[in-house]
Amino acid sequence: MVDSRPDARTLAYINLYAVLGTLENLCELDEGARALLTNKKPIAIGFQVKGGPSATLTFYPNGRCRMEDGLTHCDILLPFSSCEKFNGMIDGTVTPIPSKGFQHIKFLLKCFVPLTDLLTKYMRAKPEDLEDPVFFDKSTTLMLYTIAVAIAQIGNQDAIGKFSAHLIPDGDISVCIKDGPGATIRVEDHHMITLKKPAATYRAVMEFRDMKLARDLFDGNVNAVACIGTGDIRMGGMISMVDNVNRILDRVALYLA
Amino acid sequence: MASKINTYEKSREWFDRATKVIPSGVYGHLGPAEGCFIPVSSFPLMGDRAKGSYFWDVDGNRFIDYMCAYGPNVLGYNDPDVDAAALEQAKKGNCMTSPSYKMVELAELMVDTVNCADWAFFAKNGNDVTTAAIMAARAATHRKKIIFVNGFYHGVAPWTQKIDYPGVLPEDVANNLYVDWNDFEQLEKTVAENEGEVAAFISTPYLHGNFADNVLPADGYWQKVRKLCTEKGIVLIVDDVRAGFRLDLAGSDHFYGIEADMICFCKAIANGWNVSCLCGKDFLKSAVSSLSYTGSYWMSAIPFAAGIACINKMKELNLPVLLREKALKVTGALKAAAENNGFDLRVSGEPALFYLRIANDDSLVLHQEWISEMVKRGVFMTSHHNHFLNASLTDEDIKQTAEIADEAFKAVAKNHPDLF
Repeated sequence: MVDSRPDARTLAYINLYAVLGTLENLCELDEGARALLTNKKPIAIGFQVKGGPSATLTFYPNGRCRMEDGLTHCDILLPFSSCEKFNGMIDGTVTPIPSKGFQHIKFLLKCFVPLTDLLTKYMRAKPEDLEDPVFFDKSTTLMLYTIAVAIAQIGNQDAIGKFSAHLIPDGDISVCIKDGPGATIRVEDHHMITLKKPAATYRAVMEFRDMKLARDLFDGNVNAVACIGTGDIRMGGMISMVDNVNRILDRVALYLA
Repeated sequence: MASKINTYEKSREWFDRATKVIPSGVYGHLGPAEGCFIPVSSFPLMGDRAKGSYFWDVDGNRFIDYMCAYGPNVLGYNDPDVDAAALEQAKKGNCMTSPSYKMVELAELMVDTVNCADWAFFAKNGNDVTTAAIMAARAATHRKKIIFVNGFYHGVAPWTQKIDYPGVLPEDVANNLYVDWNDFEQLEKTVAENEGEVAAFISTPYLHGNFADNVLPADGYWQKVRKLCTEKGIVLIVDDVRAGFRLDLAGSDHFYGIEADMICFCKAIANGWNVSCLCGKDFLKSAVSSLSYTGSYWMSAIPFAAGIACINKMKELNLPVLLREKALKVTGALKAAAENNGFDLRVSGEPALFYLRIANDDSLVLHQEWISEMVKRGVFMTSHHNHFLNASLTDEDIKQTAEIADEAFKAVAKNHPDLF
């Protein structure tokens, strides 16, 4: 029988691609994040999770950050003996030890850790911080990207998520906030990838009325089905795509709570 | 003259009130989410009254209704003969400690009408009787697995849902096996792989699922299924909740030339009075008797009286033939309007439950826009569900539907000058 509980492997994929991957967007949105990287040499950190995902985060002197799948040219390599160990690093219960790039340890401590702390500040925002509309918008935008990427990871890895994904036909699904940021979930032969940019054309769309509504949805304060009735969420196109993405979205909270 | 464009101020007011006290305002298939009201602003959200082929919303907008309450309206809303029988029974009694003899009369009528029926068991909703059928199949065979056809809908109980639905446990669907419609070889293989474990094969008479063109049975498909089930001791359940009586008063299994072991009815039995019915063959009667399965209102007398009047009237009208004729007029008129405006409108399924899809794009956006324009102009249809005909639909209704369809196609085309 299928185990419906969250599993460590799927969580590792989410933590790497959806959580650490959002550093890309943090660097785009937050001046403080960019300042941590400015005028420093490019540096690439590889994350190698045994039995799980591998990816490389590269930080550039112009304040940008990019994630690429796999380990091609990393300056620092952080190996993890299991998905649980990698998830522990994200939780703050495991301290990673580089197998390569000890000379760059200063970057890890002085740049990477502050960046992840800043990301945490936005992702687990305090109510008082959210009163600042600029912070609110940045936090909600980062959540949108994290959730959109997490949807793809759950659709590809999680046992229940894969069931939902196998019912989704090929095509692009636009998940966006009206007059705000958007992401594209691309489905090909039931495999999902997320592009962190709005879809130019799409086969199905789920559009949230505004940042506030998106935030309430992400925080679990409102329900998507109810919001369709009130007109706060607009859906269109291949509804079976939206429907099944919504089922996966239900599981995101299981992993990211 | 161009049709009036509906507005829905009062609908919205009522819906907003509803959301305060009812989860999601209107839940389920009559609601804007599951009903795919795209965009929600084009659709009425609350009804006021209905008569014949029409319903009026709380804003006073009238709709020619091609959903028929999703099936129960088969003779026309508030049919005088059915309602007279119901109201007469209401004067005598409805929900009583001792069930009315009307239950026996309706059971006898069902057994006389439905080809495979040796007995009749009554409940309220389709889901009640599909669940009864599954329980009876398991009780009779002492087996646990059930084979479904992908794209199925058999109700809302956990066993009928999918593993990724909210509130459904893997345990609820652990004994569900799935095959593709019309793929007999796959069914045969699934049965072989689960030899001695399959209690039932449950299927609608043809694939009338949502979000996809409906598919009729391939030549000989049902006959092969019937033979396999008989050979392997698998109970063959036909879920005729949606199509029942609209294709054949003797049951849709009869329409396709087989006899089911059990057949489930609901929507069209009593023209909107709430009753559902499981019918079956004699060898399953004791299994059904053994079930601990009942409900507070399952033996209410008013729907039984209504059901008797409805079935008799359906027989007088030769309803399946009548609906087929009307449906072919409707779909013919819609296709002509589509063609005149450069749209590729596909019609699938049995005519009396026709399914529509505009095939000019692969996103269904054009179809949703067209349905929206139809509803705004007073023809109620839905984007991704089969439609339903009722006996009261007139040629004038069909003519008006065609005129509105033409306007709606033109409105969509105007918004897409690059395509049309």
